[in-house]
Amino acid sequence: MVLVLALGDLHVPHRAADLPPKFKSMLVPGKIQHIICTGNLCIKEIHDYLKTICPDLHIVRGEFDEDARYPDTKTLTIGQFKLGLCHGHQVIPWGDLDSLAMLQRQLDVDILVTGHTHQFTAYKHEGGVVINPGSATGAYSSINQDVNPSFVLMDIDGLRVVVYVYELIDGEVKVDKIDFKKASTSTSAP
Amino acid sequence: MFPSEIEPSMPEPDHCFANLRGVRWRVNLGVLPFQASSIDDLRKATAESRRRYASLRRRLLIDPHLSKDLRNSPDLSIDNPLSQNPDSTWGRFFRNAELEKTLDQDLSRLYPEHWRYFQAPGCQGMLRRILLLWCLKHPEYGYRQGMHELLAPLLYVLHVDVERLSEVRKHYEDHFTDKFDGLSFEERDVTYNFDFKKLLEGFADDEEVGGIHGSSKKIVSLDELDPEIKSIVMLSDAYGAEGELGIVLSDKFMEHDAYCMFDALMSGSNGCVSMAGFFAYSPASGSHTGLPPVLEACTAFYNLLSFVDSSLHSHLVELGVEPQYFGLRWLRVLFGREFLLQDLLVVWDEIFSADNTARRDEDNNSFMIFDSPRGALISGMAVAMILCLRSSLLATENAASCLQRLLNLPEKIDVRKVIEKAKSLQALALDEDVRASALSVNNVFDQSVSPAIPARTNSFPSGSTSPKSPLIITPQSYWEEKWRVLTAEEEKQSPSAPPPKKKASWFKVKRLFRAESEPAHSGKTESKGGLASVARNLLEDFNKQVVSEPEEVVAVNNEDSSVANRVDVVNNEDSEEANREEVVNNEDGSVQETDEANREDAVNNEDGAVEETEERNVDFASAGEESITAVEETSSDVFSDPNSPLRHSNSIENDSDSSTGSILFANEKVEDQETSAVDSPLPVSSQPSIEFPVVQSNDEENTTDLDKSVAVSKERNKPFPGKFQWFWKFGRNLTGEETRSNGVESSKSDLVSSSESHSSPQASSSSSKGESDQNMMNTLKNLGNSMLEHIQVMESVFQQERGQVQAGLVENISKANLVEKGQVTATTALKELRKISNLLLEM
Repeated sequence: MVLVLALGDLHVPHRAADLPPKFKSMLVPGKIQHIICTGNLCIKEIHDYLKTICPDLHIVRGEFDEDARYPDTKTLTIGQFKLGLCHGHQVIPWGDLDSLAMLQRQLDVDILVTGHTHQFTAYKHEGGVVINPGSATGAYSSINQDVNPSFVLMDIDGLRVVVYVYELIDGEVKVDKIDFKKASTSTSAP
Repeated sequence: MFPSEIEPSMPEPDHCFANLRGVRWRVNLGVLPFQASSIDDLRKATAESRRRYASLRRRLLIDPHLSKDLRNSPDLSIDNPLSQNPDSTWGRFFRNAELEKTLDQDLSRLYPEHWRYFQAPGCQGMLRRILLLWCLKHPEYGYRQGMHELLAPLLYVLHVDVERLSEVRKHYEDHFTDKFDGLSFEERDVTYNFDFKKLLEGFADDEEVGGIHGSSKKIVSLDELDPEIKSIVMLSDAYGAEGELGIVLSDKFMEHDAYCMFDALMSGSNGCVSMAGFFAYSPASGSHTGLPPVLEACTAFYNLLSFVDSSLHSHLVELGVEPQYFGLRWLRVLFGREFLLQDLLVVWDEIFSADNTARRDEDNNSFMIFDSPRGALISGMAVAMILCLRSSLLATENAASCLQRLLNLPEKIDVRKVIEKAKSLQALALDEDVRASALSVNNVFDQSVSPAIPARTNSFPSGSTSPKSPLIITPQSYWEEKWRVLTAEEEKQSPSAPPPKKKASWFKVKRLFRAESEPAHSGKTESKGGLASVARNLLEDFNKQVVSEPEEVVAVNNEDSSVANRVDVVNNEDSEEANREEVVNNEDGSVQETDEANREDAVNNEDGAVEETEERNVDFASAGEESITAVEETSSDVFSDPNSPLRHSNSIENDSDSSTGSILFANEKVEDQETSAVDSPLPVSSQPSIEFPVVQSNDEENTTDLDKSVAVSKERNKPFPGKFQWFWKFGRNLTGEETRSNGVESSKSDLVSSSESHSSPQASSSSSKGESDQNMMNTLKNLGNSMLEHIQVMESVFQQERGQVQAGLVENISKANLVEKGQVTATTALKELRKISNLLLEM
């Protein structure tokens, strides 16, 4: 059983001061094994903060990130799942499922995590999942003015992944979950 | 319901339990019924306990993924991995994970010497699950370090049983199959139907799935019956009552069994000793002391120690070695860290076989741990272990080294001997008098700062009470009185008359203790009994001379030549004689009062001299060894205060109790003479009653230097019992004499000591002039006489010694030069002494 935290588009300090306190209180060390971040942190302090939650941190570069060393895309394997990571501003049209599915096939991953739209979405698509955790700080985007802070926690256990969605709506944390079962180890992409 | 021994009416279980420690422990711990009429009862109880564990495990071991399946509408705001709610599934899961991590830290270091078994993943997993479940079941205790060490031997014992079973199986394999064939099919069928139905019934309640059901199916398919009568096979029979679940010896259910044993051990099965209590920080419900159980137990066994060996106890108390410093470790893991695993199993055999039911009456104020035989045995064990280290503990001069010895028991300790002693101590602990007197200890304890106030010394008040009114608490005077009666009886030379029962138990302990301190030298010591009255004859041999010296003195002073033949009686008697002597000198008041008053008087008289010598001693100490100085100074402080109640209690203690103090003291002297140790100024001869531990420590060093066993020196010193009291009475005189004897062999301090011996009598004489009453004059005359006697004795000793050195005593040869040198100075000292005695006689 592995818990993977997925978040991104924090835009600190340009569009938000910090993570919401309620999120911060939930994100305690010791529970989460991996963090995947879709970029736009944008400063090193946030990077350091994420490291305190979990040292195993995977970040791709957003268009506002100061650190140029982050890669554009990244893949990693957790349990029996292959995860792909991309900020998403490169995929046009932004947030389009077909374009993202293309990227998913390109990277040959089961779960594709992208950001940039600041809007939580999760699709089950072609035997895989495409997830956008939204903006963890609720920062505005060029598409969206009114954004609820949200992030995603994936509980990967064997062939099954449970996606918990944490969204801050009117000061209350709302949790939702999506179950996803992989058919078998071989069916990652056609 | 956990009787201490297996009744003969149950030959069958008795037989098998003798070999199967795991089963025996389970019976003793109350997991299995003791009064099982048949093997089936055992099987049922076994199955029941296993079922309990299985259901507990199902309930408490949490897998958030499985629980999600079961729940239709989980409240996600509560049940999510990041939930802050501690009661949520995930919250519990993470807590368990954290606990498991802690457990793993300890388990991975468990019994590294038996790593092959304990570090195997299977065993680790079992241990972890059992501990985890127990901690979850008992959140009030939680996990504490040490619990795993209580559990591991239990599991190991089960493992050994199962291994033994498989051995037996292998051995009798052919035999088994033959018998299977001989059975009629119908008979088997009937049995099966019956058992299996029951099995299913049992499962109906808790809907156990998985392994147990699978195994029950196997029973049907196997379709054979084991008719072996041998109990070991009966216990492993898969086809009796409860089916496979009822197999008493089962590899599969080792975890279940271990948990049940562990739970029973921790909870104490409603008895008064629960190991879990030892891990708790809050006092037990029935406690009178208001202490956490483990601290109370520690105090209890210290109390017991004070009864058995007050000198050792007071030594430990003086050093500030509180029982919980080592008692926590001893008790919490039931001595698991002190013995090797094999020995530990033997120890636990005894502990578990002791009945744990409390025989508490409501108005009983004693320590809880003394309420059950098991508790008493545990404290007896602790005391026995301390006594094992007796000599080396007395040799220590600070708390750190003392603890070091207590916490690193020598591996060569004979467990059986310790257990034997523990058992006799257990009997003593269960003795009502000790239990009753514990009350007073408790009272003292409550008032005082230190929890280690001994029972014996509770005659001195914890604060600063008026010295004129020596506070004597009932039990103390009670014991005092008892000893008086006892020793008087002994003096009457009535060996045929059996002493009262309680005294007998006391004697038993004493003798036991004796036997411990001087093993294998009984022949020598026995011969010394007759030495008492005839002093001169004994001077022929050096050892014998040293032995007889005090007794001769006593005889001279007292004209009481009747000395019992029994070695331990000699001590008592001597002390009694000393007491009587005092009574003679001061004929006023009751016995107790006389005793006290007499002491005070004597102390007053001696005071000047003693103080002077004390100071000298302190000087020596500072010049010689720095570590002892502090102790000495404090003791001299105490000593110079004539009204210090501490001294009284100590002296009383030594009067009435074993003569260990004098033994030690004499021991020191002998050692000095034999070895002419470099640190001879240290012996602090003038403070026998208070400082004997220090003295002992010095000569212990000598002993180790010489590679001589302590036992030998003990044996030699043993017959000095009366000396101590004698010192007390004629403190001044003794001071002179003793210092002289020290100086005799010491190469460094001879001159000083001789001058000391010179000065001290003068001081005392001046002080006694002030008193100038008839009694004192008589006493002084006696003193002079005795001094003369002593001088003669000493001279002859030296002659003898010289002869012995030439004859080639092993110890002396190496030090011959020093001895010779010392002897020269000794003779000068002797001259001085003679002068003094002459002066005294003139007075």
